[in-house]
Amino acid sequence: MPVEIPKEKWTGKVRLVTLGATAAEGGTRTRRVTVGGGTTLPFLFFEGDMPHKPVIGIEIRDRKPDDWSPLLGLAWGEAMNDPGDWAKAAEQAGADAIVLAFNLADADGKAPTAAHAKATVRKVLQATGLPVIVNGPGQADLDNELLVAAAEEGAGERLVLGLCEDRNYRTIVAAALGHGHLVQARTAMDVNLAKQLNILITDMQLPLDRVLMDPTTGALGYGIEYGYSVMERLRIAALQGDSMTQCPMIVTPGEEAWKAKESKVGEGVPKAWGDWQERAINWELVTASSLVESGADIVVLRHPESVKRVHAMIDAMMAG
Amino acid sequence: MALSGIEIYKLLPGGLKPPHPKANCKECGFPTCLAFAMKLAAKQAELASCQYVSEEAQEKLAAAAAPPIRLIKVSSNGHEVAAGNETVMYRHEKTFFHPAGVFVRINDSDGLDAIRELVSTADEYKVNYVGMDLAVDGFAIKSTGDAATFSAGVEAVRGATKRPLILISADAAVMEAGLKAAGDSKSLICGASPENWEAMAALAKSHKAPLTVGGSTLDEMAELTDKIKAAGVEDMVLNPVVTTLPEALGVWTQLRRLALRKTFRPLGYPIIAFPSQFSADSQIAAVQAIAKYAGFIVLDRFNPADLYPLLVFRQNIYTDPQKPIQVSPGLYEINNPGPDSPVMVTTNFSITYFSVSNEVEGSGRKGWLLVADAEGMSVLTAWAAGKFDAERIAKTVKSTGIESKVNHRRLTIPGHVAVLSGELEDELPGWEIKVGPREAVNLPQYLKLME
Amino acid sequence: MSKYIATRAIRGATGLVGEAERMLSQAIADKGPETPVQFPNTAYYLPTILGLTGREVSTLGDLVPLMERARSLLHPVPASQLWKPYLGETLDAGVGTLLAAETIEAVRFVNGEQPERWPGFEMGGGTDYPHLKDGHLNGPIDDIQLRSWGIQLVDGRMPGFAAIVGCAKSNEVAVELVRQLQQRNILIFLSGNVNGRSIIHQLQEEGVEMGYDTYIVPFGTDTISAIYALGFATRSALTFGGMKGGMPREIFLYNKFRVFAFVLALGEVDDLKYAAAAGAISYGFPVIADTVIPEIRPSGVTQYEHVISMPFDEIQAENDLERAKKMVQKAIEVRGVKIRVTEVPIPVPYGSAFEGEVVRKNDMRVEFGGKHTRAFEYLYMADSDQVEDGKVSIVGPTFADLPEQGAMDMGIVIKVAGRKMQTDFEPVLERQVHYFINGASGIQHIGQRDIAWIRISKAAADRGFNLEHFGKILIARFHADFGAIVDKVEVTIYTDPDKLKFWLEKARTAYDFRNRRLADLTDEAVTEFYSCTLCQSFAPNHVCVVTPQRLGLCGAYNWLDCKASFQINPTGPNQPINKGTTIDPVKGYWSGPIEFTRQASHGFVQDVSLYSIMENPMTACGCFECIVMLIPEANGVMVVSREDPSMTPAGMTFSTLAGMAGGGLQTPGVMGVGKYYLTSPKFISADGGFKRVVWMSSILKQTMADEFVQVLEREEAPGFLDQVADETICTDVDGLLTHMTEVGHPALEMDPMF
Repeated sequence: MPVEIPKEKWTGKVRLVTLGATAAEGGTRTRRVTVGGGTTLPFLFFEGDMPHKPVIGIEIRDRKPDDWSPLLGLAWGEAMNDPGDWAKAAEQAGADAIVLAFNLADADGKAPTAAHAKATVRKVLQATGLPVIVNGPGQADLDNELLVAAAEEGAGERLVLGLCEDRNYRTIVAAALGHGHLVQARTAMDVNLAKQLNILITDMQLPLDRVLMDPTTGALGYGIEYGYSVMERLRIAALQGDSMTQCPMIVTPGEEAWKAKESKVGEGVPKAWGDWQERAINWELVTASSLVESGADIVVLRHPESVKRVHAMIDAMMAG
Repeated sequence: MALSGIEIYKLLPGGLKPPHPKANCKECGFPTCLAFAMKLAAKQAELASCQYVSEEAQEKLAAAAAPPIRLIKVSSNGHEVAAGNETVMYRHEKTFFHPAGVFVRINDSDGLDAIRELVSTADEYKVNYVGMDLAVDGFAIKSTGDAATFSAGVEAVRGATKRPLILISADAAVMEAGLKAAGDSKSLICGASPENWEAMAALAKSHKAPLTVGGSTLDEMAELTDKIKAAGVEDMVLNPVVTTLPEALGVWTQLRRLALRKTFRPLGYPIIAFPSQFSADSQIAAVQAIAKYAGFIVLDRFNPADLYPLLVFRQNIYTDPQKPIQVSPGLYEINNPGPDSPVMVTTNFSITYFSVSNEVEGSGRKGWLLVADAEGMSVLTAWAAGKFDAERIAKTVKSTGIESKVNHRRLTIPGHVAVLSGELEDELPGWEIKVGPREAVNLPQYLKLME
Repeated sequence: MSKYIATRAIRGATGLVGEAERMLSQAIADKGPETPVQFPNTAYYLPTILGLTGREVSTLGDLVPLMERARSLLHPVPASQLWKPYLGETLDAGVGTLLAAETIEAVRFVNGEQPERWPGFEMGGGTDYPHLKDGHLNGPIDDIQLRSWGIQLVDGRMPGFAAIVGCAKSNEVAVELVRQLQQRNILIFLSGNVNGRSIIHQLQEEGVEMGYDTYIVPFGTDTISAIYALGFATRSALTFGGMKGGMPREIFLYNKFRVFAFVLALGEVDDLKYAAAAGAISYGFPVIADTVIPEIRPSGVTQYEHVISMPFDEIQAENDLERAKKMVQKAIEVRGVKIRVTEVPIPVPYGSAFEGEVVRKNDMRVEFGGKHTRAFEYLYMADSDQVEDGKVSIVGPTFADLPEQGAMDMGIVIKVAGRKMQTDFEPVLERQVHYFINGASGIQHIGQRDIAWIRISKAAADRGFNLEHFGKILIARFHADFGAIVDKVEVTIYTDPDKLKFWLEKARTAYDFRNRRLADLTDEAVTEFYSCTLCQSFAPNHVCVVTPQRLGLCGAYNWLDCKASFQINPTGPNQPINKGTTIDPVKGYWSGPIEFTRQASHGFVQDVSLYSIMENPMTACGCFECIVMLIPEANGVMVVSREDPSMTPAGMTFSTLAGMAGGGLQTPGVMGVGKYYLTSPKFISADGGFKRVVWMSSILKQTMADEFVQVLEREEAPGFLDQVADETICTDVDGLLTHMTEVGHPALEMDPMF
């Protein structure tokens, strides 16, 4: 019995976005990463293309964070004490891009300064040839101060600056405009908010091929279904031709999953949770792999083992 | 074109002119014929619930009402796993209704003692997630080819669990032995292929058991389900041969689309997935199976560290987007609070609860968290809907006995509902109402300042 | 366009182009055409020339064709009898002036004459010029500083820049002008002179520090150096606007809409200044002169007026300092620069955290309104020149002499002006008074219009809170939250009995007028409806269409609110929907709402009628105040209030029904609505209207009693409400039918609903 397979006739396409600039484009990166270009939902090769595979960013910090799971400490070891070493280790662990995130305070509890931001960005840029994504600590004023400094220091490198949020996007977008960078536009799990922020950003003249949408996700067990569905909806809207949703998506399953008690805590938890290390990596893996299936173009992870496994998944997927 | 509730209503007893004597009889479980009609239109009710519909009306309605993916149940001893009856491609369109059954696979050659031990451990496995107990749904037993071994293996499994079974063998004689050993439970026969379908269909028919139908192409499977249906078997589960992650994703997506978009009956059945068959990383494969349409999932091994995340993931994906997961209202202790620890209140929407409790827990500070019954809504939504008002918060304070646990009377409410503070002071005489931050992420800072 | 200005500008341009040509050929003769030219601290070549022509000038020789270009832009001076709009010619002259000015500065750089040497001049920050160690003015702004300030201009922290050209009336005025601009975080560029004396001299004499550090940049003491301001503007567009060289139109528009700059022309305006001003106008930068010059009022190239004359001595004010202040204010207004107010200047804490505070009688210092006194609030719109922004006046006694827990009458009258303000927004803004005042710690506000009731707590009064602070709060918040439509806010607090009475009457007339205006505002009378997609976060496919006669189902957004909301947030959830063609005026089908809903519901809703519950009814999110549902047996509908927990004749309570009505699903026979929609003539008008109501929650009957009186008048059915059953009469269909027969409910006789 011949079965006619129904195929979607999407009219839209995900925009191509390139991170990082090599010497030819005025930067110093040895590798660039291009994401986007998809003409159907992820990996449905029977009806469309996915010219660029989803990629993995590894999150490193400007200094060893105090509140990360000890399992991550074991995985990265001494490298965590220096952002340059950490960036090198992340590159070796298979990162396609380095996500440098600043802590809210230095070891003495003081807020990081613009000079510190510059020095750290410089160090990371020297340590790795990968594209770099720079995230502030998440406080508007401090983010602006650090990101403007980072933008200056990395001028021409096509960094990604984040997080742009509806309450605080203007300075970051301006810094991206002034120094030729990209932005990571984060909204709280809502299709219309994501669109609205993109409209605001384009209104400031930053072209959409320099915008990554970050629709926010929850971790497995902590609201992943919202992130999962919002990404699915955004991608469907993009394919239906809604221009303001056609940016590639970046999400942070690593950060979310490693906040969960399941990954953070090894003692005093139910036996039914199973082996700590296995479970913790699983938490990140399940969160990340499901988001890759729902449309993520960049997933930001923390543990080298999950990086390895998500890479294997993406490679298997792309082999079609 | 689906019928609207009103069009359906016109065919029901209450909508006839003049009305049928049984108009609004409530026997269907709905208060009026109109309410029932609207539920039918939303595919949330079965026409069979009404005994008074005329035959003519039944014909008109049945075409519109038959679910595009047949509901298949396997059961035993009061346990039941149902798959099918799904209505959407994406969960945000409505919801996914029947969570994929998760089965653990045993080989009949593993040795009876080992089988018994593994099965009873897995059978007892239970993990709590937001107040729900998650467990394995059943077991699959795979034959290595010998009927007696299979029979003994099934018996051993049957002795160790009451849960439903999936019996795996390509040999009808072996399968028959297994079915016999499984007793009167309704097991899933796995299964029919183009080579053995006649004998398998006969077994399915005589045991009134659902049957998986294998095939390497959709054409082949569609042909086979038609033949098996003609042989008198209605309950089938599709078992397409897939060898890679993207192939599985593609085939499953096509099957779901054919059923939902084309109402293609020959492939309108749930899907069974064997994650280890199409990926070296069976955890990732199982995640894909849960998200992308499998009705039954057979895992190769029982490992709590794999299983717990998978069961939670299934729970998450199958949450009704319009009816969020709730946590039980009440008093939650964070980091062993004492009598002078701060008291905070939030709603029982699970994500809200988790964000708040995670932030407080992560901050290392102690605290009492009161969770009010806000019908599972987030703070702002619940406030707007009148489900998180001064009265409800006061009730939570009084009913949880927090007053006897702390030596102060300071209650922190979410910043988004600052407007409740005055009213709340009226409702809770003696309490001082503090307005906390709007977002949970700012709680650690707030708690630090409070000290 | 003033012929006078055209004449002077063209004359000025002609002179400058001639001067540039002369200097250029001299320099080429002296040094050769291959001599490199550049501004040393920018990668944008000669930026204005690059922007306007696309030419990357790097040698003296490269400048030659540009001079030809500049000359070609010089039109003949208008003949004395000829009158026509000269704007085109004047602007061309302006562009010619810019090319010439930049050429001159470039040649001066070659000659070592730029930046301007000024022995002993100290600058706080700026490019270092080793050959000018003994002191110099700034010359062009370097790229690093451009990016740093550019970010602030683009992100809004810096509202704009002021290019001051010439010399102020006095040193005192010069300092005050600069201080006024600094206070507003406006970047200041200085150039030009009058009879050899420049504002730079004035500021230096007064010890005002200049340089990057203080945001005051002295370019040079001649008018030509003002080209650096336009070079800065051009580079902003190239750097932040993504423009390329040779895109003059785009660069002009970018500056018009995004760089909020203006020119202050101080002192006599000579031909060259006219010509330079014409150049600035091309960028959309208006010119405000402190002398008598012809004005160019109609806007077009600039956002508002082009040239404003404010003869300094004629500015109505007590002294020169006040005059300087007013001049800056005017400039800001003309350019449409929005200043952000971040803090509410009152002696008690302020924030939404205090919104719900209750001030109890015992804790109270004074109250206005309530049982024994009256308080009202009235906001109206006025012409810009009648509103003094930021001013708060108290007319009458304060509460200082009142005993504790006393009470007095008070009226808060708010006067606003704004270029985007409309009379229709008056009530929308006035309603905000409640939220704004409530944000102050220790202040309680209840009610609105002339039933407002305000209390000040003892604690707040002890900290110094007085009547004036109501005004301060309102001014700060209206600017912060409604800056998109409000430019100026002035508040007067009346406690004087006579004045209060006078204003109360005025307010009441306005309330009446607004009520009537609302009544007159029909769906037929407008061309646009509004969408509301605020709730798509949880009902992803739901779209509210808000019309004058059908408010949002949550009850919170009527058509006027949506209209104002769109002005404030043009990318937000309230978008105008052009009605398009009328398909069926009875059922309420228009092409616009249908197309909009189709798209915004992501294809889930194909058709929507605005006046029918039976055919393609509007969907609902879940926020509805009431549910309307068909009762087929009764040939009518019931209306259940969210506040009514009882059983209904549909056999379901509100919460069960809500599952059917919400979620963005179109279910004929069920609809979620705002309760004021019940009173609209368009309430299910396609299905028979209000008379179809056979059952209604008693709480609605009670709380909406006054409104229903008018509905019954309109429907000519005075006793109708008594015929409508409620939960005290029946909660099932049989009881309902019995009741309807007993009272002779009209629905029984109406056409079948389906």
